[in-house]
Amino acid sequence: MHWLALVAAGLMEVIGVWNIKRLSEGNKGALLFAFFTMGSSLLLLSYALQTIPMGTGYAIWTGIGTVGTAIVGIILYKDSTDVKRLACIGLILASTMALKILG
Amino acid sequence: MTKEWLKVVVASIFEMVWVSGLAHASTPLEWFFTAIGVVVSFYLLTSSVKHLPIGTVYAVFAGLGSVGSIIVGAVFFNESVSLLKLVFMGTLILGILGLKLIETDTSKGDK
Repeated sequence: MHWLALVAAGLMEVIGVWNIKRLSEGNKGALLFAFFTMGSSLLLLSYALQTIPMGTGYAIWTGIGTVGTAIVGIILYKDSTDVKRLACIGLILASTMALKILG
Repeated sequence: MTKEWLKVVVASIFEMVWVSGLAHASTPLEWFFTAIGVVVSFYLLTSSVKHLPIGTVYAVFAGLGSVGSIIVGAVFFNESVSLLKLVFMGTLILGILGLKLIETDTSKGDK
C-alpha cells in the first residue's frame, strides 16, 4: 500500500504542475485543482514515508514528478524533444535522485 | 528569458522556507512566514511556466530544492557534505546551466 501511495503521490504532483501551467494560461479554476492535487501529493508522500526509507521515497517521488512533467510538456504543450534538452533533464534527474538517496 | 529563470531559482528558495516552516514553525510569526513562502513560491512558479516548458521548470525546481536542503543542512545544522554529494551537486548545476543555454537558444525568434 505504501508503495502504491508513493506512486500516486508522484502522479498527483505531475497533475499539480500541469494545473499550475493551466493557471498560468488564465484558467482560474486550475488554482483549486493545483492546491488539491499538490496537497494530496504531500499527504500521500508522508503516508508512504512511514515505511519506505526517506531517501528512497523522496528520490522516487521527485523522479516521477520530473519525468512526468517532462512527458506532459512534450505531449500537451509540444515542448522540444531535442536530444540535448532531454540529456540535460536526464542529468538533473539522475543527480537529484542520487542526492536524495545519499540523504 | 533570464528573468524567467530567476523566478524558478527564487521559487525554490521560498519553497525551502515553507518546507522548513512546516517542519519547525511554532509561533504565529513563523507560521506567517511559512504561509508567505507557500504563496510566493507558488506565484513565481505559475509566472515562470508562462514562458518556460513545465518539464524544464520542474526539473530545475526539484534539483535546486535538493541542493538547497543540503546547503541549509551544512550551514545551519552542521551536517557534513561528502565528496560524492559535491560531485552530484556539480553535475546537477551543469544540467541546469545546459538547459538554460538550450532554452535561450530555442526562444531566439520570439524574445
